[in-house]
Amino acid sequence: MKTLIKIKPKDYKAGDIVKIDFMAMHPMETGMRKDKDSGQLIPAHYIDEVKFMFNDQLITKMVIWESLSVNPLMSISFKVPGEGTLKVVAKDNKGQSVESTAKITPKG
Amino acid sequence: MERRSFLKGFGVAAACAVALPHVASAADEKKVVGPNEMKFETAVAAITGGKALVASSKVKMEAPEIAENGAVVPVKVTVESPMTQKEYVKAIHVLASKNGNVRCANIYLTPANGEAFFGTRVKLGGTQDVVAIAEMSDGSFLTAKQNVKVTIGGCG
Repeated sequence: MKTLIKIKPKDYKAGDIVKIDFMAMHPMETGMRKDKDSGQLIPAHYIDEVKFMFNDQLITKMVIWESLSVNPLMSISFKVPGEGTLKVVAKDNKGQSVESTAKITPKG
Repeated sequence: MERRSFLKGFGVAAACAVALPHVASAADEKKVVGPNEMKFETAVAAITGGKALVASSKVKMEAPEIAENGAVVPVKVTVESPMTQKEYVKAIHVLASKNGNVRCANIYLTPANGEAFFGTRVKLGGTQDVVAIAEMSDGSFLTAKQNVKVTIGGCG
């Protein structure tokens, strides 16, 4: 599972509220779609939990379902308390999980 | 429209959790039920525990009025709140009222967010209301909705 974390805007100070965009490359299968060739249902396969952590402290937890689009985007706000590491852990319904990190480095 | 041609026509670009009306009919043996089927009322009751939902201008929902492609519909929810330890938004729930599984996402926020905001992209099987429910720290539930007209369903 490939992931991408974007922090907007690029330049921010401690105390600023930034937007964190988290994107994961995932098929988000609903379990209701049929394989074109075999006619068999494709089993549901979707991300069901995403956790945003800053310096190992939980900021936001999401429980999500198959209704999110393919390669889902999740965007939240975050008030930058200072320097640290942002960690995003995403898990899907087949038990696969991925951990991605981004450095939070406020200027000034 | 026949289901087969519908599927062929749209290709494999996207899948969705929506039971098309004719697929859902009892007579149809090929009824496809998603893994997490849930009706709107059931989902709302599970979130609020029977408490009243209050439509509020504090909850702002941004979604297109017309979506050409139901597979990717951008939705943004902002809730007015100081986001302090005393008063904050505990959770934002995003529901697509007519999808097979109406639940899209539950977002559990903390004061560390600084602002109650959630943005995503959802699949919509057809024209319907997208509903946001905000669970406030005082135990109340605020809601807002936006009707989205979908010209091509997010199924297929």
